[in-house]
Amino acid sequence: MTATEPFAPAGQTAPIVEIEDLQVGFPQLDGTVQAVRGVSFSLAAGESLGIVGESGSGKSVSCMAVMRLLRTPPARITARRLALDGVDVMAAGRRQMAELRGSVAAMIFQDPMTAFDPVFSIGTQIVETIQAHRATTTRAARAEALALLERVEIRNAAAILDSYPHQLSGGMLQRAMIAMALSCRPRVLFADEPTTALDVTVQAQILQLIKDLQDDFGMGLVMVTHDLGVVAETVDRVVVMYGGRVMEEASVHDIFERPAHPYTRALLVSIPGQEGGRRRLTEIPGASPDPSNPPTGCPFHPRCRQADARCRTDMPAMTPLGEGRRAACWRL
Amino acid sequence: MIGYVLQRVLSVLTTFFVVSIIIFLMMHSIPGGPFDGGDMPVPDAVREKLNAQYGLDQPLYVQYARYMWGVVRLDFGVPFQSPGETVLELLGRAWVPSLVLGGLGMLVGVPLGMLLGMAAALRRNSWIDYLASAVATLGLTVPVFVTSMLLILVFSVWLGWLPSSGWGEPQRWILPIIAYATIPMATYARYMRSAMLDTLNKPFVTVLRAKGLSERRILFQHVLRNSAIPLVTVFLPMFIGTATGSIFVEAMFRVPGLGNYFVSSIRTRDYPLEMALILMITVMFCIAYLISDILYAWLNPRIRHGGRRK
Repeated sequence: MTATEPFAPAGQTAPIVEIEDLQVGFPQLDGTVQAVRGVSFSLAAGESLGIVGESGSGKSVSCMAVMRLLRTPPARITARRLALDGVDVMAAGRRQMAELRGSVAAMIFQDPMTAFDPVFSIGTQIVETIQAHRATTTRAARAEALALLERVEIRNAAAILDSYPHQLSGGMLQRAMIAMALSCRPRVLFADEPTTALDVTVQAQILQLIKDLQDDFGMGLVMVTHDLGVVAETVDRVVVMYGGRVMEEASVHDIFERPAHPYTRALLVSIPGQEGGRRRLTEIPGASPDPSNPPTGCPFHPRCRQADARCRTDMPAMTPLGEGRRAACWRL
Repeated sequence: MIGYVLQRVLSVLTTFFVVSIIIFLMMHSIPGGPFDGGDMPVPDAVREKLNAQYGLDQPLYVQYARYMWGVVRLDFGVPFQSPGETVLELLGRAWVPSLVLGGLGMLVGVPLGMLLGMAAALRRNSWIDYLASAVATLGLTVPVFVTSMLLILVFSVWLGWLPSSGWGEPQRWILPIIAYATIPMATYARYMRSAMLDTLNKPFVTVLRAKGLSERRILFQHVLRNSAIPLVTVFLPMFIGTATGSIFVEAMFRVPGLGNYFVSSIRTRDYPLEMALILMITVMFCIAYLISDILYAWLNPRIRHGGRRK
């Protein structure tokens, strides 16, 4: 962490995550699957950002790209700027990248059941994370691991420390995963659909836990989800993605109260269970675009009620709407 | 765990008795007897006397009971083809070359195969991957007597570097060791490659990267260990199979090992030696599988601790 400080201008909070014009493609035998097509967003220290989109919208891939967790090849990544805590991750070597991961930026994943190495105990795996970044004795690291497990509200933490992943439930494992991710005090936590694989009853607890920990640790949070409900509860600002592009970015309040982009509006309408669940389930007609053969112009135009000739041929640029709102649509 | 081990030991004993009965019956169902002569015919009276002396005139179940009573006291009798020593003495003598050559073959083949498989998995679709595939396929499909002949042809006949056969000075060991090493090497190269590729694609490897472990630690601490678990079970049975002597390798290189006696004891109806050889192999395979299973359980917490959730 200290090694990267000279990059941050003194006296102001430099962005922890900077993504500018990110493109990620996966070459196939018959052409390239362009998963991310010019995505830009940034995250200031301590800020929380939600990235919302359907599966295939490029939201996870964008985060994996800035963590350099995509294998290249096959993935092809280009960006005007891709940085974590001021460090250009496109230029960083393997070693430097390994130092950044876990200590500057940590990540938790969708399926906690497959996220741990099955042959080592939970404690061992947390201890090795701590020791990968700091020179401490195993005894001290174990004590830290125990405290972390207690902090993520795991009862009987001492026993869990010596448990193996197959002995724990999904909710328990996700808590342990969060403890492990926080073990080196990261400045930003990427949470990639952290509750999707969990029971509904556990989901709310885990979200609340993440929110609390974010405040406690003063870290940034990037919450990747397809669920607007999750975003409403956990973040300050939202990026809406579709077809590998950012459609709209605004505060969580504005996203729900005055959505600018037709896609955002369509998403909001399709949230089930509003108003006592009496309303019919509304869906967005059509299917999300095929990433190997995307539509020309705005990727949403085939499903957009307001689309006209221009939407079919030209991609609208991101237009600032004031107060940090911006959207990419011809019909603003 | 202790209950599991006891249960397995019991099943080994059962296997032992079932195998002994089957082998005993099969052995005696082959027409002819040890004193039928062949090149040197024996008078009927002499043969009957010999049969009586060795108890071969008794009903089969009596012979079996007598034999097993001996086995319990570790008395395996005297080999008909070499009456000057006991069966155990003969085995002890003949096993040395088999154990040395087969064991060294494993010692060379297994690490080489693992390295090849690892390199193939880490550099997928590179020349080394194709080399590993070629070695694995050839090693498993070309019969060992063909490999042996090619080795003799190249290194003894054409190049004249190494003696073609025999037992004694270590340079005579080299070719049979290479011949023995091919199958373990091929097997391990294949298994290692697929096990590593399987592990490398597991989501937990991404998590290990995401938490900032070095590639080296991910590989040696996590990927190798996960990949090696299935390979452990293969090792001991393969070792037994190799270190008890291959009939073909020992014949090709004229090694005075156990493999030779398999053939000769069946051909000459050398009942005590035949029984002892097969029972010995049975016991060793049983023990090998037993140890492998226990080792597997020890390496794999999902079995070691059962499925209990806390």
